[in-house]
Parts: sequence; structure tokens; C-alpha cells
Amino acid sequence: MSPVIPVGPYHPALEEPYKISLDCEGETIRGADIEVGFNFRAIEWLAERKNYTQAMTLVERVCGICSNVHTLTFSRAVETLAGLEVPERARYIRVIVAEAERLHSHLLWAGVACELIGFQTLFMTCLALREEVMDVLEAISGNRVNYAMNRPGGVNRDIIDPARVLAAARRIRTATERQLIPVLTTDRTVRARCAGVGVLTREEALALGALGPTARASGLAQDIRKAAPYEVYDRLDFEVPVLTDGDVFARVVVRALEIVQSCRIIEQAVDAMPAGPWQHVDFPRVPAGEACARIEGPRGEVFYYLASDGSDVPARVRIRTPTFQNMPTVVPMVRGMSLADAPLIQASIDPCYSCTDR
Amino acid sequence: MDSDAVLQGLGVCVSRDRRTDGDWAEIGDLDVRAMTRELTKAGARWVTMTVTPAGNSFRLIYHWDMDGRLLNVATTLTGPGKESIADLLPAAEWVEREMHDYYALEFFGRDETPALMLRPGDEPGLFSRTQELGRDGDPAEYEGPAGDGTATGPGQAASSEGAVA
Repeated sequence: MSPVIPVGPYHPALEEPYKISLDCEGETIRGADIEVGFNFRAIEWLAERKNYTQAMTLVERVCGICSNVHTLTFSRAVETLAGLEVPERARYIRVIVAEAERLHSHLLWAGVACELIGFQTLFMTCLALREEVMDVLEAISGNRVNYAMNRPGGVNRDIIDPARVLAAARRIRTATERQLIPVLTTDRTVRARCAGVGVLTREEALALGALGPTARASGLAQDIRKAAPYEVYDRLDFEVPVLTDGDVFARVVVRALEIVQSCRIIEQAVDAMPAGPWQHVDFPRVPAGEACARIEGPRGEVFYYLASDGSDVPARVRIRTPTFQNMPTVVPMVRGMSLADAPLIQASIDPCYSCTDR
Repeated sequence: MDSDAVLQGLGVCVSRDRRTDGDWAEIGDLDVRAMTRELTKAGARWVTMTVTPAGNSFRLIYHWDMDGRLLNVATTLTGPGKESIADLLPAAEWVEREMHDYYALEFFGRDETPALMLRPGDEPGLFSRTQELGRDGDPAEYEGPAGDGTATGPGQAASSEGAVA
């Protein structure tokens, strides 16, 4: 009889609520079962009982890392319903903040991955770089998380020191290109722990609806910023890194390459950002109807459905986060792998349990 | 990819609309399994499913990505649920469980529909049962269904086996 090893409901590396039961034969994992919902907050239910201003604040709490992407997606759904045009400067500010959020999310994840791999020095490098982004976000918004930047019809505040943003993006890009990527791609320890480990094939990624870097590391070239550009992404020159190996190593490298691309996007957006207004003063009246919005968050596509009955309270808010879709991909990833690799494989999808449990 | 061609034959098209946020189709008695087969064959990518209360029933919206354009295929339930598509498309496995948790909808053809967001043994249909709480309600103080445990519509109770038509 093979033992089933229950791990959780706290993740061994990320200290978040999630349970995986690993069906083992000796040290080898033969199957897995995932349980979520330990911190279910019914945010959709709550959002349908609060006015739009309250709902904006609420959806920013869906996630503690990619909080900005939720207010942006919700705002875009409201703007679609209300037929609201967003001022040009606000569209650039939205892109800059969204990419800064991707930077701090990817750098945090890279740091956590390095710690799991056993590479403390690189963990420190990643976290030091992340602090640069956090300082920029704090300078823009006054806060390190939950920036409250977005509102239907624009943003809540201007970027008053774009030169500082530009300088930080350049420093992070240089450090990533000269330090992070060379070490991650050539170091023996990283390769030994990651290459050929936790493979998700292209077919499995498609069947399970994998999103974001998890999908792109398995050969799926999908990114809403390219496929259905929003804000000003169609005016900016950037690449979507896609690798085909589908292992932990590919997921590490895809995110590292995306850090460089996010820096490039920020640099261009700061340069091209026009002067002018950045918000509509009045909160719009939301007419009856329904609309969808999608944004490419750090972990993949974030989807919102919004229905309005014309009142000041949303009639229905549906939130599909990327980790909700990515979490089941861990099952084929761990199958046949060593038990010792399970924490790193789970972490390699950059899971967000807060998003999943909503 | 031509979504019109794919949608033909899936049911009676009640409405079709091209909007800035994607293409919308309302189909009566939608054959969801045929839809899944045809759209995946055509290269569409699964996005998710939304359930919205619709009078005494529910409206299901299946969201797909077709070359970057969103395709939203909606249908209103005439019974307690809809056929499952999870065996055809594993990506839909969790969302069917989630909607069962929220609205006690049945997805026919599944061996089981274990709780996803709720705990094992919890009564499914949390959103439906607590609909009556309104804007000031607190689901944490909810003490149980007020009805006879058999109705299906929003604001009404549902049995643990789901709804009875």
C-alpha cells in the first residue's frame, strides 16, 4: 500500500492555506489531490452588496501582490458599461503601475524560488531589486501594496516624478540582464534543481487552461497585452518570452525574461507619456447592462464579468483569477517526481491562494 | 476563426451581438457539450464560466477566447442544471464545482461534485441561500435555509442533492 502524504493546509514554502495530498511510492509521487478554499471570503457575494466605490476598494483586496490588476480590470468593465473614455495620460500611468506590479511580483517569486532551490545569495539579490520597485510604487501611490491607483475613468493620482521611475526601471533591467539571468541560466545548482523537474506539456497546459508564465513556459504564446491590447500596450515595443520545455527551469527563465520586458515597457511609457488630465472628476453612473474585461496580470489573465441593473450596486461580479486556473496544473507536474521536489514544483506556478480563495 | 459558423447548430440563437468587449450569443437550450467540442476543435481557449441569477432560474455564460477576441455564449437554464463539460475540457472542472458551491447547480454526467470553496459536508448553494440577506446581511450569521430545502431559484433554499425541477 502506498502512503498518502498530506501537505498543508499551509504551504511548506509560502505559508499560505492550501492542501495537497501526495500519493507516493517510496520517494516517488504517483498522484496528487489539491484542496483549496480554506480562506474563502465570498468577495463576489460581498461586491454585489456594496456600491461601486466600496466594491473598488474590496476587489483591490482579492490579492496582496497583484492588487492593482483587480481595480484595473474592474474599472475597465465599468468603463465599458458607462461608455467612458480614459484620458491619455491615465492610460500610460496605468501601464507603468501595472508593469511595476509585475516586476515586484516576479522578483518576489524569483527570490522565493531561489530560497527553495537553496541559493540564498540570489534570494538577497532578487529581494534587493524588488525593494527598488517597492520604493517607486510607494513614491507614486504612498503605499507598498494596495496602491488605490485606478478608478473608472482614469487614475486617482498622477506620477509626479517620472524620472525616478525611469531610473529605477533602467537599474533593474541592467541588474537582471547582467546578474540575475546569467546566474539563473548557467548556475549548476539552479539547473540541477529545476531542469527536467515538474514538466507540464503543451497539451496538458491547453487542456487545463493554464495561463501566464505557466502557460508560456509550456509553449503557449498567449498574452492579453498582445492578443487583445488594452490601454497603450499596442504602441509599445516588447516581446512575450515563450519557452517549450515546460519544466520548473523554463518557468524560472520565462519570468526572468519578462522582468526585462516589463522594464522596457516602463521606460517607453515614461518617455511617451503625454501631459494632460488623468481622471474624470465624477464617478460615472453605471447603466444597466453587462460587460467583461481582461488584463494580463503577473500570473496570467485576470477576468471580470460585471452586470449592472442601473443602481449604484453591482448586480453581479464574477472574478476569475489566474491561479484558480493554474493550480490544477500542479497535479501532472508532480506526477513521477521526487517528493523532495514537490514544494519547488508547487511554487513554480507562482500560486496565489488569496486570489484563488477570493 | 468564424464563431458564427461554430455556433450554428448548438441551439436556437436568441440574440447575437458584437460589442467592444467581445461577441455575445444567447442560445436557448444550448448544447454545451457540442459547443465545447466545436470550439476547442476550432482552437478556442477556455476562459471561464459565469452564473447569474435570472428570475427563478439561472443564466450560464461560457466565456472563450478566439484569437484574442472574447466569445460569450449564454443560455438560461430550464431545469436544475446543465451537462458537465469537465470530461471534455479539464479546465472547466474546478469552475463547475465552484458554481455548485455557490448556486447548487447540477452538472450532469459527473461522478461527483465535491465542494471546492466550501468545506466537505457544507450545504451547496451558499449564494442562493443567502441572497435574501440583501445588502446589509452577514453570511457569517446565516443559520440555515428558511424554505423547505427543495427550491432552486435565487433566494431560495436548495437540497444537498442540488435542485429539483
